[in-house]
Amino acid sequence: MTERPILLVEDNPDDVLLTVRAFTKNRIRNEVVVAVDGEQALQRLLPDAGEPLRPALVLLDIKLPKIDGLEVLRRIRDDDRTRNLPVVVLTTSNEERDIVASYRLGANSFVRKPVVFEEFVSAVNTLGVYWLLVNEPAPSG
Amino acid sequence: MSTRPPVQVGHEQLMALIDHTSAVIYMRDVDGHYLLVNREYERLFNLHREDIVGLTDHDLFEGPIADEFRANDLAAIARGIPLQVEEQAPGEDGLHTYVTVKFPLHDAAGHAYAICGISTDITARKRAEEEVRRLNDELELRVRQRTAELEASTRELDAFAYSVSHDLRAPLRSLEGFSQVLLEDYAEALAEEAQGYLRRIQANVGRMAQMIDDLLHLSRATRTQLHREPTDLSALAREVASELTDSGRKITWEIADGLTAPGDPHLIRLVLQNLLGNAWKFTGNAEHPVISVSVHPQSGVDVFEVRDNGAGFDMKYADKMFDPFQRLHSAGEFEGTGIGLAIVHRIITRHGGRILAEGTVGEGAAFRFSLAPAPADWELR
Repeated sequence: MTERPILLVEDNPDDVLLTVRAFTKNRIRNEVVVAVDGEQALQRLLPDAGEPLRPALVLLDIKLPKIDGLEVLRRIRDDDRTRNLPVVVLTTSNEERDIVASYRLGANSFVRKPVVFEEFVSAVNTLGVYWLLVNEPAPSG
Repeated sequence: MSTRPPVQVGHEQLMALIDHTSAVIYMRDVDGHYLLVNREYERLFNLHREDIVGLTDHDLFEGPIADEFRANDLAAIARGIPLQVEEQAPGEDGLHTYVTVKFPLHDAAGHAYAICGISTDITARKRAEEEVRRLNDELELRVRQRTAELEASTRELDAFAYSVSHDLRAPLRSLEGFSQVLLEDYAEALAEEAQGYLRRIQANVGRMAQMIDDLLHLSRATRTQLHREPTDLSALAREVASELTDSGRKITWEIADGLTAPGDPHLIRLVLQNLLGNAWKFTGNAEHPVISVSVHPQSGVDVFEVRDNGAGFDMKYADKMFDPFQRLHSAGEFEGTGIGLAIVHRIITRHGGRILAEGTVGEGAAFRFSLAPAPADWELR
C-alpha cells in the first residue's frame, strides 16, 4: 500500500470524523490531510510557493465554502502537476447534474455518501482497496 | 276580367326602393354638391333632403372627413368604374366605419356629371374584429406571463430540491454515524435498553433518509423534461417484472403483448416500477399471486390496467392514495413511505392522462390509467 497521504476535502467536521473512523476501521493507515474548503485544497495541491502535497488520492466534496468542489476539480485537471491525480467525488447528492459535471471535468469516480454508517465504511473500504492497492497510478502523478 | 295597366318604373318608384334599405345612398355632382340622399341618410345625420341639396360634404362634416369623401369621389370619377373603399363618418357613439361603393354617371358624350355612393355600416363587425384581436393579444400576453411564472417556479423547485439533496441528508449521516460509534465504542457502558434506543434512532434516520430520497424522486418526476416517443409498455413491464421476480417470490405475470403509447419511456418505466412494485408488495400474503398488465380502449382512448389479487384496499380511501406520504397500511404490515403513487399520479398527469384506483379488501387492486389528453367529457372508468 502506498504511503502517500489522502487529501480529504470536507467542510463538515462530523463527516471528517466519520470518514477518518471509516479509514481506521478498514486499516487504511495513510495520513489523512484535511482541507475544509476549496481554497485550502488548492493551496495544498497547487501552492504559490513551497512543496506541493502529492496525495495518493483526493476525496472531494462538491458543496464547499469559498471555492466549490467542481471548480477545485477543474483546476486540478487544468494543471500539469495534478492532471493525473486520482480524484473521487464523495458527496451527499446524487443529482444527475453533479454526476455529469463531475465526470465531464475528469473525476475518476463519483460516490454518494450513504446515510448508514456501516454502508459508508464498506464504501470507503472499496475505495481504499481500489485506489490505494489495486490501481497503478500514473508515473508522474 | 280586368287588366292592370303596365307598371311604370319612374322616379318615385326608384326613390321608394332606395328609401327602404339600411344602406346610406347619395348622389353628388362632380363638384361635390348633393343632388339626392335616401331616407337612411336623412335619419343618420338628422337632415331633410330638401335642406341638403346644393351643399357639399365640407358644409356637413369636419375638414379631414370631408376631404376623404371628396378624394374618394374624385378617384371613382377618374377610374370611371365602381370603386369600393372603407370610409368613416361620425355617428351617435363615435366614428362608424362604412364599406362604400362609388361610381360615376356619364352623359352621352362620356363625361362624368355625377357620382353615386352606397355605404353600408360595418362598425359592429369592425368592433367585433377589434375585440377579438384585443382578446388574442391579451391571451398571448397572459400565456407568456404564466409561462414565465411557471418557469420561475420550476427553477425555484429545482433549486430547492438541489439544496434538499445536499443539505438535508448531511445531518442524518451524523445522527446515524455517531449512534453507530456509541454502539461500537461504548457497548459495555450502555445498558441493553439504551442500545435498543440507539437502534431505534438509526431506524428512524434510515426512514427519514428514504423519505428525502422519495421526495426528490417526486420532484424529479415533475422537473425532468418530458420526451414523448413511441413507447413499448409490454417490454417495459416485462423488464420490471423480471427485476421483481429476481427477488425470489413466485408470481404469475400476465403481461399483454403490443401495449404501446406515445410517452416518455423513462417516466413510464417509473410508473410501471411503482405500480408493479406495489402489486408485488401487496400480493406478499396471497396464495397464488397473479399480476396482470393489459389495455382496454374506452371511447377511443387507450386505458392501461395493472391488476393484482393481493391485499387490496378500502374504496373509501381511493382518492387519498395518490397524495404524497399517504399510506393505507401500517408499517408493520407492508413497508413503504407512501410516495410511489404520488409519483405515478404526477407522471400520468404530466402526460395529460388520468388514473384511478379500484380495490376490495382481501381481493386485490386495479390501477387504470391513460397517457394522452382526452376530450373534456371523457371519463376514466
